[in-house]
Amino acid sequence: MAATSVPKVDGIRVDDAGFWFSTAVDEVVDVRFDGRRVWSFWLLRDSQPKSGARFTPWPNALKRFLNGVVELSIVAHVTETTLYSEELTLGEGTDRIAVVNQAGAPLGLDKTNKLMLTFDTRSAEHVAPLLDSMETVLAALKAAGIDAFVAYGSLLGAVRAGKLIGHDSDADLAYVSNFTAPVDVIRESFLVQRRVTEAGFSTYRYSGIAFRIDIVESDGTIRGLDVFGGFIAAPYGEAPAMLYVMGEVGAPFQRDWVYPLSEVTLEGRTFPAPAVPERLLEAMYGTGWKVPDPAYHFSTARTTVRRLSGWFRSTRLMRNEWERRYSHVRNTMPAGAPSDLARMVVDREGGIPPFVVDIGAGRCGDALWFARQGAKVRALDFVFVASQAVQKVVADEGVDLEIREMNLNSLRSWMGAGARLAHSSGPRVLVARHLVDSQSDPARKATWRLAEMALRGTGGRLYLEFVSGPLGGPQGRELLTPISAEDVEAELTRHGAVIVAREEIEEKVPNGEPGRPMTRMVAEWRT
Amino acid sequence: MANVESKETFRTRLVRLVGGGAVDELVKRINDLEAEVQENRNLNVRVAELVDVISELLLPIATQDQARIAAAIAKFESSL
Repeated sequence: MAATSVPKVDGIRVDDAGFWFSTAVDEVVDVRFDGRRVWSFWLLRDSQPKSGARFTPWPNALKRFLNGVVELSIVAHVTETTLYSEELTLGEGTDRIAVVNQAGAPLGLDKTNKLMLTFDTRSAEHVAPLLDSMETVLAALKAAGIDAFVAYGSLLGAVRAGKLIGHDSDADLAYVSNFTAPVDVIRESFLVQRRVTEAGFSTYRYSGIAFRIDIVESDGTIRGLDVFGGFIAAPYGEAPAMLYVMGEVGAPFQRDWVYPLSEVTLEGRTFPAPAVPERLLEAMYGTGWKVPDPAYHFSTARTTVRRLSGWFRSTRLMRNEWERRYSHVRNTMPAGAPSDLARMVVDREGGIPPFVVDIGAGRCGDALWFARQGAKVRALDFVFVASQAVQKVVADEGVDLEIREMNLNSLRSWMGAGARLAHSSGPRVLVARHLVDSQSDPARKATWRLAEMALRGTGGRLYLEFVSGPLGGPQGRELLTPISAEDVEAELTRHGAVIVAREEIEEKVPNGEPGRPMTRMVAEWRT
Repeated sequence: MANVESKETFRTRLVRLVGGGAVDELVKRINDLEAEVQENRNLNVRVAELVDVISELLLPIATQDQARIAAAIAKFESSL
């Protein structure tokens, strides 16, 4: 682990590309701009040999700020020894570099290299709303029958110094279930989330045993607090009882190290903590948990990752990837609507259908277009924030477009949506553009069952458009996997659908080169 | 990195040379077993979701009371 003496680092040089130095010591260092920490990295772990020295590139999240003048210092995090300090010009700018958000608040990189409002720049006045929210969420969980406690970074800060960790940016809460089998722990988590929702809170589920509770703070901002579920698997044979906590913990453990809860002080307030906090901290961060590490990377055992993923994360399949895909465009209005598939719907239906359900609606370009033409539209997608720009327009224009989160990897989610559609009356059209070419087999089969629930006996139709070749898996960096039109047709037929139209077309490619084969298909459920 | 890869390739080649087809077959069996274990683990969420749907959604629907059905669906969807 980190040394407590001054690390020997020679030949430090900083330029537009990154940091150059020579050292044989792996220690975590802070990069400070005008005296304020903006980033931390490990000298060896995060560097590579280059041109006879070690080289660490600038992290992507900081690059857009690197244009101007700054007093840059590199400081050993543990001993606070300054290893380097120079007034530098980066890029071609002449103003002082300010790593701040749009409101001018100072930002720093957290341990996952995301730009955040880290606690080290926040005053007691700024931190108070977070502490209030933690108390609110703990009380809501208590009312739902769960004795939760501060965990991960919040527990680490409380035990080390009674304070939030400077380079952290959020608070973490956890609990350990009384159940010992994953299926029961998941059912309990569903129940707890339902009770918290009934108490008036918005929630967002991450996995089978982790969800977020959104708190509206006094200034109107919404803060999400993560609640990580855990359980202790019973011992068997010579294997000890094991504690598993989302999302990183798998360690031999005793229940009386958690309950009855003890208390810790955090920023002057008292919070519940595990009975023996040190035991949980060791399970979370290893034996070196006492030594501060702002660039900490979890080294969770492969078997723990596989267990937690297998038991709890199957409903998250591809969601992170799509969230990342949409993260840069979610505030930009989608262009290109109506799509050719939307035009096909209008042609075949003889006008704008009265009720359109867009499954896998993404940024909701077509959904908004249909709504603007006077249709009642329900848009469903498992990345709700993808349509953030359209959601704002909907509120302003008052069109009949309802956008909902719906996850075809989650049986509860698509069955809930299916039940609602089956319970609604009147003719309807389902549209799914680039949905079936982005799904796993189970999710695609869920799509057929959802369509059947929504359409059987209504006279409505399902319109599909998907990339149908070349086959052989995902291509390049895109998230689509071509699927054969014959397979789609066969699956639909097996699910009771009748194919009423099928068109083979070519993907439109901007530079005019030949596109991939695509298929449009229309299906009905007649009885 | 290139050195590591070429070392691994060398090691893999050596193991294959010594073990013949048995090593490849064992590696495939381990991969298959890991996939099968994950399939079983995935059933935990599946069963929990099914029980939740039955208890929260299907039982109210079985009453055939339209207002109760609509309320149950709305409550169910808002709590996911």
